[in-house]
Amino acid sequence: MSAPARPGEPRPIAAPGPAVAPTRRRAGRLSRAGVRFGREAPPVSFGRIVGGYAVLGLMAVISLFPVVTIFLTGLKTDADLMNGFFSLPTVWHWENFSKAWDQGHFGSFFVNSVIVVVPVVAISLVLSTLAGFGFARWQFRGSGVLFFLLLLGLMVPFEGVIIPLYYYMKAVGLLNTYWALILPQIGMSVAFGTFWMRAFFRSAEPELLDAAAVDGANPLQALWRVMLPLAGPALVTLGVLFFAWTWNEFLLALVLVSDMSVRTLPVGLGFFVGQHAADVTLLAAAASIVCAPIIVVFVVFQRNFIRGMVSGAIKG
Amino acid sequence: MHLDDIRRRFARTGTLLVVGSLLVTACSGAASPTPAPSAAPSAAPSAAPSTAATPATTATPVAGGCASAATTPITLMEWDQEVREGIGPVIDQLNSEFMAANPGVTIVRQAKSFDDLKATVKLALADPNGPDVAQVNQGRPDMGAAVQAGLLLPLTSYATTYGWDKRWGAGVLARNSFSDDGKQFGTGSLYGVSITGEIVGLFYNKDKYQQLGLTIPKTFGEFEQQLATIKSKGEVPIAFGALDGDALQIYGSILETMVTPQWLNDWIYGRNNQSFNTTETKAAAAELVKLSDDGDFTKGYAGIGYDDSAKLFEAGKGVYFWTGSWEGATLTGAAGEKFGFIRVPPQTAGGTSLSIGGVGLPWSIRKTAKNPDCAAAYLDFLTSDHAMQLVAKLGVLPGHSAPNATGSSALFNEMAAAFADANSKDEVGHYLDWAFPTGWDTFKAQLAKLLAKQASPDQFVQPIDKEYQTFTASLK
Amino acid sequence: MRRPGERAWWPYAFVAPALIVYVVFIFLPVLDTIRYSFTRWDGLTAPVPVGLDNYARALADPIFLQSLGDNVAFAFWFCLLPIAIGLLITSLIARSGLPGAWLFRTAAFLPYVLSLVVVGVVWRWIYSPAFGPLNQLLTAVGLDSLARPWLGDFDFALPAVGLAGTWVEYGFVTILMIAGVQKIDEQLYEVARLDGASSWQQFLHVTLPGLRNEITVALVFTLIASFRIFDLIFVLTKGGPGNQTSVLSFFVYKSAFQYNQPGYAAAMAVILTAIILTISIVVIRWREREGAGG
Repeated sequence: MSAPARPGEPRPIAAPGPAVAPTRRRAGRLSRAGVRFGREAPPVSFGRIVGGYAVLGLMAVISLFPVVTIFLTGLKTDADLMNGFFSLPTVWHWENFSKAWDQGHFGSFFVNSVIVVVPVVAISLVLSTLAGFGFARWQFRGSGVLFFLLLLGLMVPFEGVIIPLYYYMKAVGLLNTYWALILPQIGMSVAFGTFWMRAFFRSAEPELLDAAAVDGANPLQALWRVMLPLAGPALVTLGVLFFAWTWNEFLLALVLVSDMSVRTLPVGLGFFVGQHAADVTLLAAAASIVCAPIIVVFVVFQRNFIRGMVSGAIKG
Repeated sequence: MHLDDIRRRFARTGTLLVVGSLLVTACSGAASPTPAPSAAPSAAPSAAPSTAATPATTATPVAGGCASAATTPITLMEWDQEVREGIGPVIDQLNSEFMAANPGVTIVRQAKSFDDLKATVKLALADPNGPDVAQVNQGRPDMGAAVQAGLLLPLTSYATTYGWDKRWGAGVLARNSFSDDGKQFGTGSLYGVSITGEIVGLFYNKDKYQQLGLTIPKTFGEFEQQLATIKSKGEVPIAFGALDGDALQIYGSILETMVTPQWLNDWIYGRNNQSFNTTETKAAAAELVKLSDDGDFTKGYAGIGYDDSAKLFEAGKGVYFWTGSWEGATLTGAAGEKFGFIRVPPQTAGGTSLSIGGVGLPWSIRKTAKNPDCAAAYLDFLTSDHAMQLVAKLGVLPGHSAPNATGSSALFNEMAAAFADANSKDEVGHYLDWAFPTGWDTFKAQLAKLLAKQASPDQFVQPIDKEYQTFTASLK
Repeated sequence: MRRPGERAWWPYAFVAPALIVYVVFIFLPVLDTIRYSFTRWDGLTAPVPVGLDNYARALADPIFLQSLGDNVAFAFWFCLLPIAIGLLITSLIARSGLPGAWLFRTAAFLPYVLSLVVVGVVWRWIYSPAFGPLNQLLTAVGLDSLARPWLGDFDFALPAVGLAGTWVEYGFVTILMIAGVQKIDEQLYEVARLDGASSWQQFLHVTLPGLRNEITVALVFTLIASFRIFDLIFVLTKGGPGNQTSVLSFFVYKSAFQYNQPGYAAAMAVILTAIILTISIVVIRWREREGAGG
């Protein structure tokens, strides 16, 4: 359990801990398959298992179904559409995807999204780790106030900042540049990221830090050599979240960037919808293109990501 | 050992990530990206009919306006919403011809959708790095607001120089005019010139006409009877989707068969204290509801978008498609000679009846443009006779008559005939949302309520009138 | 607590970079928004101070009030309903844990990482009376009396949009709950059973409190996701029909950037921010008090 809350400091809501195995564990086949049991699980009836699978299966179908069908729709032609949605496309028109790519300029939007996402994720991870460590490790003057300030930032809706951000960017001439998208999103990400990493560091063993100090390491080295290697899953989770939030950012990009050459994917898709010449099939293909990267990232990191999110809820 | 391995791996990936991102930031964020000239995204995917058949007049090099480009290169950035199949390639061609005729001038084009442009153009015109030339929709919401905010350059002096007052009639020029403080509409300085012409009417499916034994209706009453006949034969009378706000065109069309030109001009331009709460506005509202109640629209139209309704019409799921001539190029491309176009018939045979229309989205010059003379020369070229010929060839109505500006399809000829008919009788009406800044949103919301029976015709007109009165009062 | 030999400025060095970026791009803009809210401004000429005029206008503006109401309604669809569904499914599956669950977990999480613009495109198509599967499905099973023009329907537009939001959130919330419930000490259930508690009472007194952390985390994440509702509205309904699905972020955007009234928009933004912050602070304080016992 994390240290008792210091006076005046809000208790962390979620603290992802390093993956710690429960003290008692059944080493049976099911456990090795990844199933976790409580101390002593009640006997599970066959009916319960089948029912459980049915419910989980239904859930999976409902979650995946819209995404799969939009992909399939992207492969149809207009004539196919008239056949009703249940029919599979007669011929799989992969060229719809390249058509959507060209007609919607998704090539350049894609590159722009990457140009924005990479710095935001990387820099936010670094800054959040540093700040989270700082808040966790020391009780310094003003730390309570500053941390509370950050916490407020989590809850500020976009509407609260978008107007002055627009005029501010205009005043310094950064409208329609990548910086207009990168900098505010780093600001938004570090609010959450600091919170997340602080919770993580607070749940870590203080003895490790003591040992590092005895070794003569300065705090930066302590962070680098001792804490960071343990932070893997927490960082993965944070990174995936940052990636998803930044890749999917719409309102900020809509307001701060109207120039097509800097525009990112979601805005490109958003206006593709309203274009009076858009085909339903092309639109479906375009939507598939836009969500492909985040799906890939998610699938690659899903094990750690889900574990991080889940275990983040355990500690508290 | 194990821990060290992990640490090493982290060090590597971590450094890679940070260095990589710094590199990316450095390379990309160093300067705001300048769009590459002539590699500007051009819009229409389908092969545009080749305009190799040389038109009667060739592009005349424009003297004066861009002469300075010979010494110091000029770049003009233009934003337009010609992404539909018809006119996009025309703009590209005109741009390259202009560049060829004016060495030193580079035109950078950004083509966006109508919604996109509408949402972003005012912001962009206020941005010092924004476009020099842009299409700004007529009416209070867009052009009026832009003029009031001091974003647009008055073009009256250029109109005299280039003879634009000969090209278009006074009525047309008035649509693109505002007083310099933006308060008066339909008078004052010219702020934009249009390339295309527009008229709202009824596209009809010729095959269905034959099948069902229909002929062109001469009166609105005949039209309504036709709808009943079509319905009884199991066909969809009017392909329609209201989700994107296009109920406004239908409502406006109906209204404008009932009002006088004087009233309409007064109301749109904010003169003589006209009210929107009149017998005609309510009668038109009632008529719209009647069409819906009689089942004359596509089933579920409230949730169908504009593109979907167009697709339905093309696929034969609707005898009529009630929209503007801008759809003509797409319909020509899609199914050849299957479709025709007529004006919305008058209430009484041979009576006066306005059709919504006029000229298409005008092109304006930003007030702080660095090379206004060159921009004006560009606008002149875009609206020249030569341009009109190109536009017509692709099945889009040209903004003014020009020699040899004829189209190749029957559909185009029908649209042109309808347009000419309305113009000759001085029966070209207005888009209702022009009248006040929140026009588009208010009409869209109110029409949705009207059609959903959430508001009676009385309740429909009152909020619109209230918004209108509040606005006109603020102008005094 | 400082280790021996450490400089005093270490902590500040660590937190400064993040704080600077945050303050410049988030905190100061919030202060600016408050400042603008007291002016009448068109965004181009000089702002004119008008005191509380904008606030008075907002509170009397039917569209503002409608938008606020819609925000509350969407909070139900985005946050409460997914959590309710998660709890329901968890109580059905009950502590048994199933092999191969990772497949289901991945599938259930997927909607959460998608852009809401993509979600909007998907659901716009699903709801389309012209080509979409929903009405075709209803007709196919003979329920075509239920088929409606969803996104254009005055009564059903908001639930339709809300349902898309529920679809995004429910999967990941459910997984969170399922994982959480497996951590609850089985002995607590034993004790409850021995005391004669019914399944419902067990759920109420053992499961629910045991899932307190998960519920809080779910609330936080769903709330953060719900801020993006602008994207969904932009693609699905643009606030319509009428103003049935008008949310505050959309109205603020239109007022500021379409109608050139950033002062008024700022006032509305401040009201919304204040409401959210108040709720957040209340929740945090309540959690603190609740959690004080461990």
